[in-house]
Amino acid sequence: MFQNRAEALALALPAAVFAALVFLLPVVVLLSEGFRIDGSWTLSAYTGFFSESLNRTVFLRTFRLGLEVTAVSAVIGYAAAFAIVNLPPKGKGRVIGLVTLPLMISPVARTYAWIVILGRTGIVNQAIQGLGLSDGPLRLLFTETAVFIGLLQLFLPLMILSLISALENMPKDAIPAARVLGANWFQVFWKVILPVTREGLVVGGTLVFTGSLTAYITPAVLGGSKVLMLETLLYQQVSVANNFVSASVIAFMLIVMSFAANILLKRLATARNKR
Amino acid sequence: MKNALIASAALLALSPLAAKAEEKTLTISVYAFAQDDFKTIVYDPFEAKCGCKLVVETGNSVERLAKMEANKASPVIDMAVVSMADALSASRKDLIDKIDTSKLSNFGKLYDLAKDPNGDGMSVGYTFYATSIAYRSDKMKIESWADLLKPEYVGHVAFPNVTTNQGPPALFMLGQALGSDHPDLKAPIEALGEKKDEIVTFYEKSSQLVQLMQQEEIWAAPIGRFSWAGFTKLDVPVAWATPKEGQTGGMNVMVVTKGSQNRDLALQFMDFWLSTEIQTKLAEKLVDSPANKEVKLSEEAANNLTYGEETAKSLKLIPSAAALDNRAAWLKEWNEKVGQ
Repeated sequence: MFQNRAEALALALPAAVFAALVFLLPVVVLLSEGFRIDGSWTLSAYTGFFSESLNRTVFLRTFRLGLEVTAVSAVIGYAAAFAIVNLPPKGKGRVIGLVTLPLMISPVARTYAWIVILGRTGIVNQAIQGLGLSDGPLRLLFTETAVFIGLLQLFLPLMILSLISALENMPKDAIPAARVLGANWFQVFWKVILPVTREGLVVGGTLVFTGSLTAYITPAVLGGSKVLMLETLLYQQVSVANNFVSASVIAFMLIVMSFAANILLKRLATARNKR
Repeated sequence: MKNALIASAALLALSPLAAKAEEKTLTISVYAFAQDDFKTIVYDPFEAKCGCKLVVETGNSVERLAKMEANKASPVIDMAVVSMADALSASRKDLIDKIDTSKLSNFGKLYDLAKDPNGDGMSVGYTFYATSIAYRSDKMKIESWADLLKPEYVGHVAFPNVTTNQGPPALFMLGQALGSDHPDLKAPIEALGEKKDEIVTFYEKSSQLVQLMQQEEIWAAPIGRFSWAGFTKLDVPVAWATPKEGQTGGMNVMVVTKGSQNRDLALQFMDFWLSTEIQTKLAEKLVDSPANKEVKLSEEAANNLTYGEETAKSLKLIPSAAALDNRAAWLKEWNEKVGQ
């Protein structure tokens, strides 16, 4: 298209300079705060961060909840996507519309709705008591369970949509063929469905995992300070403790974890592809 | 020709800017709360009176103090309102100046505790508030701060996080109820830590408490009087406790930035804000309790605010120096005993 590379580069230059100045540079400056104490380069902010047991707890909790949300959304996502793909075209469009609908509503509104639903007098507790499963209302709000439910509802649509597009590319007769050849349902999933949909799983998994790590509103509203996550801890460090070094450490870890999750999932996908 | 056109266009574009630059500008830094009311009651009338332009920056006090510190060499903000302890912190960092109270015509009308809260002449109180316990009067009876930890109540309590403005004062009073008035707050934090699993939440935003009270998630929470109005509108009975250890609270103060180019204008603005007329209007809108003792309030406003000399005298405030010197230790203690 271009006569030479220089022309192409010249055209890209303004955008590149803009992005470098207003995005990359501030990010690098902010992140380098965590490695510079009193003008010299050091890792002491990181060792200091992990020497506090609260920080270790929060780090592990964030990581674990991210994994749990990703795993559960994959299981539910496969079932839902499989059901949706097999619907007649008209019904399929409508159901996909319903799946995407929550994505168009602000996460703040969605999260506040959970306060009502999960409250002592909310519909969940009424159902539990109505079924005789518990004498009094259970405490659901401000627990890890509440944060888990909130995050799952927030990010499940992304997993379902990724898996729908993956499943649609699968040949329609692959499953009957496998069944005829004597595979049970577990083998059908493991040897037929999973290999052809792993790209979708990688995309969905990355979106859900990184989304869960970096979500702020949901853990802040449904967990509060009793269920601190890295994001809520980061907010606390910046706006309450005015500790930008610690905040920079947390931000760096979140970025690393997001990239690591993406690279790892991609590796897994290509490793299986080669076999 | 083309050049002349460009030049005249540029001149035209610049002329409104030139007119603006002549107008005096006062930059203030305030809490983000109730800005609509402040605009109609304080900012707009003051702009009309002084013929100057008011630039309002908002945020919580930590953010705004950090900004003042970053701009220390060439201050952007002329005056700020902060908490008592933050005013002392700003004074220790050499960010603010002594206030020439002879230029404040309304200074003599202030309650004594508002005149010089930190005793260093660097701040003037413009509002103070009581902190006590809002509770469901049909479910419980609160006579002491320690009642919050009673086994039959503790599962229905939201306690302010130590990182909020209400946290340390509430802990301070809980400590008094438990027989310790040491400013390290170790005893109350430990007592709270033992019950942390039962306490509903350690809240960070008082705005969420009204909803929690409405849906019976909580029965009691220590709150600042300024968030009381929301509870009075609920269809469940909520009462304001007067515990035997007394009420605590806090005071917000005005400070003048060191090196401000608009010192006189800042003082004029402060004087305007402290006047009986403005303090009355803000109080009747339930925005801020008055620090001006000449303010006479309607019964409704008085019931919802921290009002009157008696109340002002009965408040047990944490001294700013004790708060400032212990903040880090409180947070550490809290994170060890309660935060995980």
